[in-house]
Amino acid sequence: MKTSIFTTSFQRGKPRLKAALVFGAIAFVIAFAAAVNTGIVGELLRPAMSEAVLVGLWGRFAVALVVGILCFGGCYGLLGLPHRVQSWSVWAGLALSALLLFYSFDLSYEFIERKLPFLLTQGAFTTIYVSAISIVLAFTFAMLGATAKLSGIAILEGVGAFYTSYFRGVPLLVQLFLIYLGLPQIGLVIDPVPAAIAALSLVYGAYMTEIFRSGIQSIPRGQWEAADALGLQRMVTFKKVILPQAMRVIVPPTGNQFISMLKDSSLVSVVGVWDIMFIARTQGRADFKILEMLITASIIYWLLSVVLEMVQHRIEAHYSKSVAR
Amino acid sequence: MTTMKVEHRDRPPGAAEAQQIAIQLVGVNKWFDDYHVLKDIDLSVYQGERIVICGPSGSGKSTLIRCINRLEEHQRGSIFVEGTELTSGLDNIHKVRSEVGMCFQHFNLFPHLTILENCTLAPMSVRSLSKQDAEQMAMRYLEKVKIPDQANKYPAQLSGGQQQRVAIARSLCMEPRIMLFDEPTSALDPEMIKEVLDTMVELADEGMTMLCVTHEMGFARRVADRVIFMDEGQIIEENAPAEFFDNPQNSRTRLFLSQVLGH
Amino acid sequence: MRSIIKKTLICAGLMAAAISTSSQAGKTLDAVLEDKMLVVGTNSDYRPNAFLGDRNELEGFDIDVSREVAKRLGVDVKFVTPGWEVMTAGRWQGRWHMVVGSMTPTTKRAEVLDFPATYYFIPAGVAVHKNSSAKSIADLNGKVFGVVSTSTYHRYLEHNLKIDAVGTPPFEYQIKPQEIRLYGDINEFDDLSLGEGVRLDAVIQSVSVINQAVSKGLPVKMLGDPVFYEPLAIAIDKGDAEFGEKVHAIIEDMKSDGTLVGLSRKWHGVDYVTVK
Repeated sequence: MKTSIFTTSFQRGKPRLKAALVFGAIAFVIAFAAAVNTGIVGELLRPAMSEAVLVGLWGRFAVALVVGILCFGGCYGLLGLPHRVQSWSVWAGLALSALLLFYSFDLSYEFIERKLPFLLTQGAFTTIYVSAISIVLAFTFAMLGATAKLSGIAILEGVGAFYTSYFRGVPLLVQLFLIYLGLPQIGLVIDPVPAAIAALSLVYGAYMTEIFRSGIQSIPRGQWEAADALGLQRMVTFKKVILPQAMRVIVPPTGNQFISMLKDSSLVSVVGVWDIMFIARTQGRADFKILEMLITASIIYWLLSVVLEMVQHRIEAHYSKSVAR
Repeated sequence: MTTMKVEHRDRPPGAAEAQQIAIQLVGVNKWFDDYHVLKDIDLSVYQGERIVICGPSGSGKSTLIRCINRLEEHQRGSIFVEGTELTSGLDNIHKVRSEVGMCFQHFNLFPHLTILENCTLAPMSVRSLSKQDAEQMAMRYLEKVKIPDQANKYPAQLSGGQQQRVAIARSLCMEPRIMLFDEPTSALDPEMIKEVLDTMVELADEGMTMLCVTHEMGFARRVADRVIFMDEGQIIEENAPAEFFDNPQNSRTRLFLSQVLGH
Repeated sequence: MRSIIKKTLICAGLMAAAISTSSQAGKTLDAVLEDKMLVVGTNSDYRPNAFLGDRNELEGFDIDVSREVAKRLGVDVKFVTPGWEVMTAGRWQGRWHMVVGSMTPTTKRAEVLDFPATYYFIPAGVAVHKNSSAKSIADLNGKVFGVVSTSTYHRYLEHNLKIDAVGTPPFEYQIKPQEIRLYGDINEFDDLSLGEGVRLDAVIQSVSVINQAVSKGLPVKMLGDPVFYEPLAIAIDKGDAEFGEKVHAIIEDMKSDGTLVGLSRKWHGVDYVTVK
């Protein structure tokens, strides 16, 4: 049974009515505050009231009331549905509204259609492979960092502490410029893509070092002691006893980091890597259609992160199978 | 106090003394920072001997047995286990740990591994047994603790008493000559204490050298060769169980026994 | 830029040190001739000079000029798009050999870069919303202007434009803006299109960009005459005079044989090469 804040799911009777009323009231307040009578919703009421009335305070109130009642009705209907259907239909409804909002921007779909293939084959491809390599490297750095920080060897602890402190403390964009522009000053000339991968993986590796460290430390001392008492080597204990358990704690926040990294990879466009963001900006700016490209890019990023989310769920399920009763 | 029925066992008097020393502690001292937790402990444990250590909480009894397999490090004095001195050398520590099994208050089973995998991990990794041999041995010991049918479950699916018996089987799979028990029944529901104590009695009957920190005075009276009472980091009194319980010498022992047995 | 496989390979050798090619006399030229490859840094979003065309390849005036220079050097050409700030910062370490990016040779930039050849002049104009109430440039005093950050238009509005090139026509500062809004990734024309005074009252850009915007259907128009003409030059890293002389000679040839004028007519519609 999932734990939830409210003890009832508001699916029938008085609670259902009350919950729908609350949602309706909230919608009324928002609609009134946002003065939707001047917007699209107001247009719908045009047949019922004159232009002058519609624009005034009374019109504002009436339109907001209609919005409130519509929301109340919709919510009341929704609340009667089974739990899963409810949450999925709300999800779909919100996604649809977001797309409708974009649609109302009066965009040039012909332009999007023309530029989309390149945005995918060049932009999304670059974003994905830059992120993928960075993710693998960040994972490695985090593993090394956490191992160093927990090694009990002062020199390694110092290295680990400096690593996390510096790379967590300096913005990704600054790191990127330092690596791209700074390293050549000592004779290490690297291309934009390696520079981007280095910056992404070092910074995210530093964040994840802390996640790994706290995950490993969350495993009770008794597990180490039991393994010690059995005579297991410490590295074997780490690999076979501690890490598999720590993974359960580590995976959810690490998944968040990866999704976050996927999006932050858009920063690499500043050093001229042709990722999604670079193509979107370039195409949009050159043709004075930046909004078209930004919205397209946002949807591509979103879809990519949904895929990552699904991967994360699978890994979580794998590592929690032993605690499932 | 839980009451329990353990059959009285006959044993030849003085049998333990005639054998070799398994564990010897000489002038052992330990501090946790400023806190002097063990003060000049001298103790010899003979092979096949069963010792119960009791005392109020904070008396240092758990620390004492944890020093014997080096889960805690002592700062002064010497500890010998089966002739090997415990120093900071890793070889010595591993040698001692291969002779000494331990059971903990909270079992400390590996929750991500099945019961069988819990039992085969150390034999395969430390003693380089093949998977097949390790599993065969694990099943033998799981039968001994009477839960072979749970072998493919995960620890969380077992009761506390079953988990503790798995922990005992897991230790036995390393075929130790000495077993340490650190309050093995303190975390258990009353109805599960007996099944664990029965398993321990069986081990004792087979001649395993045992050091057991416990408040189960019924177990101590019936199984132990010697009962040791500790308080404030010192061994206050040690005696055969009959003498210890019926005729305690020290006033602190008397006070402790009245508290433990008094209700 | 297009070769993904090559990029991946480079990633593999992430930390392997590349050979530093700090520019000594003739070194850049040697590298170009040795590799038979001229690497040109340029823009990717600057119509009609360098932009991604419908074939998703870079095209435009700067691109054609670069191709011609490479051809006359007898080498192939490759384009990179490192970003404006990175290109103007200098110290390229041999990553690319020259920038053909419609760069104005300001005194400040000349401190870190060499400008061996001015290849065209471009007029800067003032754009306003098509419904703007302003009748002349003088009406725009005390209004809000949008310009690309650190561009010559930015400097012009700050009354701090120092161009260091031979043959630059003189100009005067005609505008005192109330506020200068700076643009980088966002297009200032998008904000101007929202309406007069919504975010911006006017934009200063090159006349050819303004014409592009108009022809793309944005609700903007050019106001009055160009406010100044800026020379645009090829930039190279400091220190290789030999390479500079070679580039200079090639551009002079392209001017005298009419190639450059032809390219300007092709992309700008008019001759921006010949000084008026």
